[in-house]
Order: sequence, then C-alpha cells, then structure tokens
Amino acid sequence: MKKIFLVLFSCLLLLSGVLAGCSSNESEAGGKDGEEVKLTWYMIGTPQKDMNKVMEEVNKYTKKKINTTIDLKMIDWGDYDKKMQVVIASGEPYDIAFTASWANNYVLNARKGAFKELDQLMDEHGKELKGALDPAFLEGAKIDGKLYAVPTNKEVGQQGVYVFNKRLVDKYKFDIQSIKSFEDLEPMLQTIKEKESGIQPMTTFTPHAPFDYILDDKMPFAVPLEGENKIVNVYETDEMKQNLDTLHKYYKAGYIKSDAATSKEPWALDVENWFVRKELYQPYAENIWSRNAGYELVVQPMHESPITFNNSVTGSMQAISATSKNPERAMEFLNLLNTDEYLRNLMDKGIEGEHYEKLDNGRIKDLPARKNYTVPSFALGNQFILDLYEEDSDDKWEKFEEFNNQSDDAPTLGFYFDPKPVRTEIAAISNVTSEFAQALLTGSVNPDEYLPKFNKKLKEAGLDKALDEMNKQYEEWKKKQ
Amino acid sequence: MLKPAVPSKKVPKAVKKKNYNPHQLGKKANAILNTMLAVFAFSCVFPFLYVIIISLTDESVLEKNGFSLLPETWSFEAYQFLWAIKSQLLQSYMITIAVTVLGTIISVFTIAFYAYAISRPQFKFRKQFTFFAFFTMLFNGGLVPFYIVATQVLHLRDTIWALILPMAVNAFYILIMRTFFQRSVPESILESARIDGASELRIYFQIVLPLSLPGLATIALFSTLGYWNDWFNALLFIDNPALVPLQSLLMKIENTLEFIRQNTLLTGSVKGIMQSVPKDAAKMAMVVIATLPIAVSYPFFQRYFIQGLTIGGVKE
Repeated sequence: MKKIFLVLFSCLLLLSGVLAGCSSNESEAGGKDGEEVKLTWYMIGTPQKDMNKVMEEVNKYTKKKINTTIDLKMIDWGDYDKKMQVVIASGEPYDIAFTASWANNYVLNARKGAFKELDQLMDEHGKELKGALDPAFLEGAKIDGKLYAVPTNKEVGQQGVYVFNKRLVDKYKFDIQSIKSFEDLEPMLQTIKEKESGIQPMTTFTPHAPFDYILDDKMPFAVPLEGENKIVNVYETDEMKQNLDTLHKYYKAGYIKSDAATSKEPWALDVENWFVRKELYQPYAENIWSRNAGYELVVQPMHESPITFNNSVTGSMQAISATSKNPERAMEFLNLLNTDEYLRNLMDKGIEGEHYEKLDNGRIKDLPARKNYTVPSFALGNQFILDLYEEDSDDKWEKFEEFNNQSDDAPTLGFYFDPKPVRTEIAAISNVTSEFAQALLTGSVNPDEYLPKFNKKLKEAGLDKALDEMNKQYEEWKKKQ
Repeated sequence: MLKPAVPSKKVPKAVKKKNYNPHQLGKKANAILNTMLAVFAFSCVFPFLYVIIISLTDESVLEKNGFSLLPETWSFEAYQFLWAIKSQLLQSYMITIAVTVLGTIISVFTIAFYAYAISRPQFKFRKQFTFFAFFTMLFNGGLVPFYIVATQVLHLRDTIWALILPMAVNAFYILIMRTFFQRSVPESILESARIDGASELRIYFQIVLPLSLPGLATIALFSTLGYWNDWFNALLFIDNPALVPLQSLLMKIENTLEFIRQNTLLTGSVKGIMQSVPKDAAKMAMVVIATLPIAVSYPFFQRYFIQGLTIGGVKE
C-alpha cells in the first residue's frame, strides 16, 4: 500500500506543478481608474444571431464613455439556473449576472455571499441610477438592510388578470366586466365546453389567492393579505379550501385539461386552443399579448389594485459578483445602461437602421432583421427610457408610473426568511408539498380527501416548528421597521 | 436503443424424425422462444418507429388528438421547420461529428496505450497504475472541482476540447481493454517477436493492435456513442452558439419547455420566447435526425462488438 500512495502522491505533486505553471501565465485584469477593463456579464435569454454585431456597437460606445468593454454571455432560459449554480460554486471570476426570484435565486445567492453589497458602490458610482429607480424597488430588494443587486425599473406591483380570447367573448356576448371571483367564470366555461370543440375552456392556472407567500406560491407559508398579520399555513385557510373546491369542480367538468398535473403543454399564445388564462399585468400588456398571439385578447383584473410583493421587486435584477475584479466599473456600466437612452435602446432593440428604424414622429418600427436580435427587454434594464413603438400609447410610461403609485405594499415586503435554523423541516415540507400541491392546485384530486392528508403530512414534516421560527423572525423584522 | 440481434439458430428444413439432433429445440419451445424474442425485438424498435410517425404527424392533429399511431393527417411540416433553422442545425451537426470522430480516435488511442501498459507483467508499476485508474471509478472530485479544473486551469471554456477531453479516458474501458489484452495477446507471441528483434513500439503497432481489433472496435463504439449523446459538457462549458452540439441543442429545447411550464406566468412578458420553441412534431423530427446516423452506423460495428465482448482473437 505504501508504494501506491507514493505513486499517487508523486502524481499529484507533478500535476499540481503543471497546473500552477498554467495559472501563473494568466494576466491579472487591471482595473485602475484610467485602464481599459473588460466585464463579463451573464444574462438569461436565447443567444441571438446578431448578438456580436450589436455588442460591437455597444462596446464602441462604452469604451468611449467609461473605457470599458462588455463580454456578454447569453445563456438559454432553461440552462441559466444550472449554469449559474456551477459558475458561482466554482468561484469563477465574472462581473455581472442576471438574478431574480425565479432564476439564479437572488435571496439564496445574496445570503451565500455570492454577490457584492451595493449600497456604497451605488452611492459612489451610480448616483443617477439610484435617482432613476422607484424607491419601492430599492427598499423591497434589500436583504437584512443591504442591497445586493440593481433592480430593473419596471412595473413594481403584481396584478393577476384573466386574459380572454376576444373572438369567443364576442361570439357568445360574455360580460367579462362582471367577473369578480373565480366562481363567476363557471357559466362561460360551461358554454365554451359545450359549443367549442378543440378549445380548452381554461389553461392550467391557479386562481388568485389573497396571500403574501414567504417562500414560493406552492409552499404552505404565507401572510393573509387581510386579517391577522402573521404567517400561517395556507392550506388550512378557508380561502384556499374554496379555491381548491372550485378547481376540482372545474376539473371534473372537464374545463381543466385532464392531465394538467403532469402535462408539459406550454399554452403558447400563438396557438388558439384556449379561452381563458391568467397572466401578470402591466399597463397595455394586452396590446403586447395580442401582438404575440396574432389575435385579439381582452383582460379583466382578478383583484382591485396591484400588490408589491418581494417576488415582484426582485423579478429582474443585475448583481455584481463577489468575485468581480472591477466592481466599480461594473456599477458604472449598470448606471450607464439604466440611464443612457442611446445605450439602453441599442441593447434592447439592436442597431438603428438595421434592426429598427426611427419614424418622423420619434416613434420606432421593427425592421425584418429584428428577428435576429430579440432579447428579453424586462430583464435587461430600465424600461422607462425605451423608445415607444408607433402603435404604443403616448402615455405608456406615465401609465406605468401610475400603476406603480397605485400598488399596495404586501405585508412582508422586504422580509426575507432565513431558513438556516429549520433547514431539515423546510426540506421535508418541500418534499411533501411537491407530492401534493401540483395535484391539488390543478384540481386533479378531491380536496375533501387529499387536503387533510396533505396537512397531516405537513405537520409530520415539522410544519409547526417551521412556522414558529418564521413568525419569530417576522416579528423581529417588524419591530425594526 | 437498438440491441444486437441475437443470431437465430438455423433449423435445417428437412429434419427427418429419425435424425435425432441433441441441439434441436422442441417445436413448442422453439415457437415460444421465437415469439418472446420477436416481441422483445419489436418493443426495442417500436418507440423509434413511433417517434418517426409523430415527426410526420400534422401539428394541429397533435394538438387535438395527442400522439397516435395512425395520424389523421400526415405532414412534412416538422422537417420543413428543421430546414428553416438549418444553419444552426448543420453547424451543430458538424460539431457533433467533429467531436465524435476526433474524440473517438483520441479516446481509443489513449485507452489502448494505458491498458496495454498495465496488461504487461514486465511493467513494474502496473498494479499501482491499475489502482490509479480504478480509483477514479469509485471516487471523483464532483462537479465543481471538475468545472474549476476545466475552466480556470486548463482554459477549455468555449473550445471544442471542452467537449472532447473530459470524456477521453474512461477507467472502465481501460479495465475492459486490459483484460482483453491479457486474454487475447499471449506472452508467447510477444516473446517470439522480441526474439526476432522487434522493438516495443513495433510489437505494439504491428502485432498487438491488429490482434486486438475486436476489443478496439468495442471501445470505439462505446466512445462514439458516448460522444454522440453527450450534452452535459456543452451545458457546462459552451456559451458560443457556434459550438453547441446536436444533443445539447435538443436538451436546450427540452429545458426551455420545462422552464416555461414552471414559470407559466412569465411567458406573457417574455416576447418571442414561445415562438422560438419548436412544437412536438419538430422536436421528434430533431430526435430522428439526431439518432439516425448513429443507428445506421451501428451494424458496421456490430460484428466486432459481439466478438469483442465474447471471445479473444487467439486460441492457445
């Protein structure tokens, strides 16, 4: 055995020698004030054909402005999360990364120390940026009082809306204004089911529930929007029971797809096989949706005014990596991106004259080449400085601001639960939830039978302990407010 | 997945009752076994046939009726869709082929060298090197160290080598090859070569390798399949769309669909995301064109494959 270890050890030594030799060749990226710097930026979205062309223009501009060039790495939607996990875990140096509540998890990574604290950096290198952002974003995105990523300036609140296929609404003369609750949909769904073959009355969605969820909208923890201000088990509330009952009724009647719990049907907008669906609203969203769908859509809000949740303020952000060698430059770049109209429109829509053209009245219009450059606008940066399309309403951005002013803060806005003390319980609860929630929330199983089972298993998984810890942290947080 | 066809026992047609053949199966047993094998063979081929049928089904019929064996309307639309994105597809095809060919060559040579060395009793440290290889079968550093070594030490990121090198050496294949060398290349042949004055390299290339063709072909087949089907390395190391291999392209589509399913409320604001995702028929058409080459090339390997796993090249 001794020999074996000797051999192994010498191999290791040899190897590490070689490796050390390799790494020392690498030149340090310089970041002194005057020097040119190259920033690596991980971004979510499908890589585009004309990416390099546009980035060349971007780099020309940023080099002139802040002596910085950008190496943009677009990672496809489905791959982004996995890829960033490896990148972050390996401590790879990069500068900026997209982060949100739904991809490259913001709270988790910020707590882990993967992102830089930005408060001071922003004060020093991003003054204009700070001024441009809606204060609700900055407040809501703070974790334990510190900001770890730059939110995108867009709609701050969340408002669920029913989206209807206008052709069918007109055909049967439905009065969608009268819909106030999920139950009100029933007569319409019934008509569609009877008279329209090949149309699914409703896509797979969960109705609006008046809760402010702590973890995600399947996990049982939430603060009711009305009533006592403490965290409860959603699945023991009457509101949830009523929703689940209605869902199950709709499921039995065939309004919901029969394999909804396991189906991979994406309910694409451009396939006209549905009557009503749920989307999150922003001013004039129906125009965008209709344009994407290729046919007319109408919307009806599910609840009164938009609500500002943690999830909505952290819906799209750019973080600066803790491994970044040039955090100041990264902040300067984000500052420029969110405040400079030329740069922002260039990154969003491509090159003027090639991907889009300016009309006489200052409006813009896509050119055919635009299909080679479509990037997720909401994920990139400030929405309010984007040029308007010819069919956009004049007051689009004013409406956005109005929408933002209307938004009510959710009770837990700015509260981020630290799961460390009850990690095992949360993991067990998460397992139980993934077993039951999907079936219940699609109406596939009878809640009278399965809801008690679900709640019993949640209890066994340590729900009470987790709730106690959550409420303890929540009370402490409330005191500090 | 295709399975090697089982050589059927030929039954002489005119078997007279008098000629008792001890290897002859009873009629009933023969029928049962044949049916069982036929069913098994069919169940192997069937899914693939099904995929081909779906890829030729009209998309609107799929939306309405789901998958069916005899679709109402046939259509080549899925393949037309693939033709429309042919620049990306061809690019990925080239990458996959390049990686597979280059990778298989590199991998077969490396593995054969290593295995030959540890198969010869004259080599003093063969036990240690066998253990060195064997050890990696039991333990490995895990994903993150692997990623760090590949990107920060070897700088493989966004190069074609990131798709080749991580899979070039496989400890299990080394052990198969070592056993193969030990069994099929007897020491006496090498001895006689040495007496005739052959150098070690000459012995290796002119005697050992030709004798071990079945073993090499087996390893080559394994490697080819491995490289052809690999998508994970591309997910980790490739950001440049020009270097994405075919299987990775397929996985991307699957992942994106899964992503949309989980984030149903996002799609409204993500302009263009839905249009870029191919529909079912197109997905199946991609599977067809991604699988076909490897399925077609399989029969060429098959002869060696069976030999390689069962008998050695030399009888003593």
